[in-house]
Amino acid sequence: MKILIIEDEPSLREIMTEYLRKQRYVVESADSLKDAMFKTADYEYDCILLDIMLPDGNGLELLRKLYRTGKSGNVIIISAKDTVDDKVEGLELGADDYLAKPFHLAELNARIRSVIRRKDHDGDSAVSFGNVRVDTSSYSVTVAGSPIELNRKEYDILAFFINRPNHLVDKMNLAEAVWGDHMDQVDNFDFLYAQMKNLRKKMNDAGADVEIKANYRLGYKLVAK
Amino acid sequence: MKLLYRITWRISVALLFLSAAWGMVFYFAIINEINDETDDSLEDYSEFIIVRALSGEKLPEQNNGTNNSYYINEVPEEYAVLYPSERFIDDEVYIYSEHETEPARILKTIFRNSENRYYELTVLIPTIEKSDLKETILTWIVILYLILLISIIAVNAIVLRRSLRPLYAMLDWLNRLRLGKEIPPLELDSDISEYKKLSEELMRSAQRNNEMYEQQSLFIGHASHELQTPIAVAQNRLELLAEDPDLSDTQMEQIVKTIRSLEDISKLNKTLLLLTKIENKQFPNTEIVDINSVVCSISEDFAEAYASHEIEFQLSETAHLKMEMNRMLASVLFGNLLKNAFIHSEKHGMVAVTISEEGVRIANTASSGALNPEYIFRRFYQESMSKGTAGLGLSLVDSIAKLYGITVSYLFMDGMHVFDVRFQKS
Repeated sequence: MKILIIEDEPSLREIMTEYLRKQRYVVESADSLKDAMFKTADYEYDCILLDIMLPDGNGLELLRKLYRTGKSGNVIIISAKDTVDDKVEGLELGADDYLAKPFHLAELNARIRSVIRRKDHDGDSAVSFGNVRVDTSSYSVTVAGSPIELNRKEYDILAFFINRPNHLVDKMNLAEAVWGDHMDQVDNFDFLYAQMKNLRKKMNDAGADVEIKANYRLGYKLVAK
Repeated sequence: MKLLYRITWRISVALLFLSAAWGMVFYFAIINEINDETDDSLEDYSEFIIVRALSGEKLPEQNNGTNNSYYINEVPEEYAVLYPSERFIDDEVYIYSEHETEPARILKTIFRNSENRYYELTVLIPTIEKSDLKETILTWIVILYLILLISIIAVNAIVLRRSLRPLYAMLDWLNRLRLGKEIPPLELDSDISEYKKLSEELMRSAQRNNEMYEQQSLFIGHASHELQTPIAVAQNRLELLAEDPDLSDTQMEQIVKTIRSLEDISKLNKTLLLLTKIENKQFPNTEIVDINSVVCSISEDFAEAYASHEIEFQLSETAHLKMEMNRMLASVLFGNLLKNAFIHSEKHGMVAVTISEEGVRIANTASSGALNPEYIFRRFYQESMSKGTAGLGLSLVDSIAKLYGITVSYLFMDGMHVFDVRFQKS
């Protein structure tokens, strides 16, 4: 899998490159619009991470060019601007996703996986880890081929973890992702434990070969047993 | 008190004293003039009689048909020495022909005849009654005062109102002026130089204020924006570090806590950006938002999250509210109000949400007394420092409410903090 990072901030480019290489992607990077134009003209990428604000122009220009050649479907826009206009225009030009700075690397990885999955499997919306399979279009979960019943919150938790396997998820981030942004001042995560306990029990009972492990009082990680 | 009434009132008071003083001066002037004239004729008359008396000619009749009368008495020499030869006296005299007492001007002249005998001649003319004069003058002064007052009020009403019209126009303009909004045109139909100058200065000051306000909000926007990338870098580096399997538990904990602090900064930053964007009206996408469903889903999440605090949650819906606004802002508005209600509730407290025809009411049991409604909507205002909060929640609520003409008011009722959200009737 080949990824092109178009980002002018060297530090961020370096981290993204390092992280994505660890995730076993082949990573190329460009620090300017000109460089990015050359690279996209000459090579094919499975996913392009595009910063909109570049020193020599607006990243949307590149997106327009890719749109004309029908290659804009695998672009994730990364921007510190987070304005509705940019978002709308970017998505109208065929960008696949929009990620606002600052973002979690795990979030970035999850988005990349989703873009590549759509591209490769032609719209197949299922994600698997071990023998657990989550179909994000029908909201169904199967363990070792047989379906299991999850309530909405349990499903949301599992869907969040399956996109971030082997990654420590902070309780706070999990609460915000599943219960909403307003959860940032919760000081007691009992509500999370209750759902988590049920989910783990259901997965275990169905014979899953992966588990959500509690980690260092800080959060959880989806790992192979 | 209106300027017009104040000016009229002051002029009336000043006029009262002025006309009283004028009445007095007028009275004395008249009296003086009358006395002067009377004295002249008394002198002439007394001279005429003395000349006649000394020359032995026939004296005029005592009662000569006029009210003028005279009499001559012989006086001892001591008397003549003691008194001046001529003196004027104001006195009351009895007039036989009229059978009444009247005020009179009297001239007593002492003279000596050839036999060295002293006589005193008293001539008198009945004069006007001074109290009558005083009354008349007072009456007319009062009438003059009233006439002046009425004309001044009338003139004021017309002249002042007309001359003050530009002032009222400027006041009205100031009233319509809103910081950060477009400055309405200030058109004065006046060629009075003071007003012109004032309106120019007002306009300049409003423009300067607006520029400064814009610059400041732009600065906050830019600063928050520029902070995002370094925060992202720091956060992501720590995330990379956290992937290291050789980390000890304590090292891991330190890293995760640092990431949390960075997330707090990033959230604060995003909130500031959001505030700037709301104030710059960068949320054009509106839709009909079902207020009930927004409020219900958020409050259910909170009720679940705060179940361990055993907070009693009551929701009553007697109306179905819909409002055209940005969906995200609607959830920020109610999310912040509900979050506050849950965060600031004591254990075993209560959060009550009422959705009625009038609007949404969010109430929670207060652990302390009433909050100051003057301050709670200000940025970074906190009643008490609590962890993880920056005090921007209610200013967000305030900005969003202002954007859509929603009123959010705070009440303290029966030991509950109550926030009332009222939608404008359209």
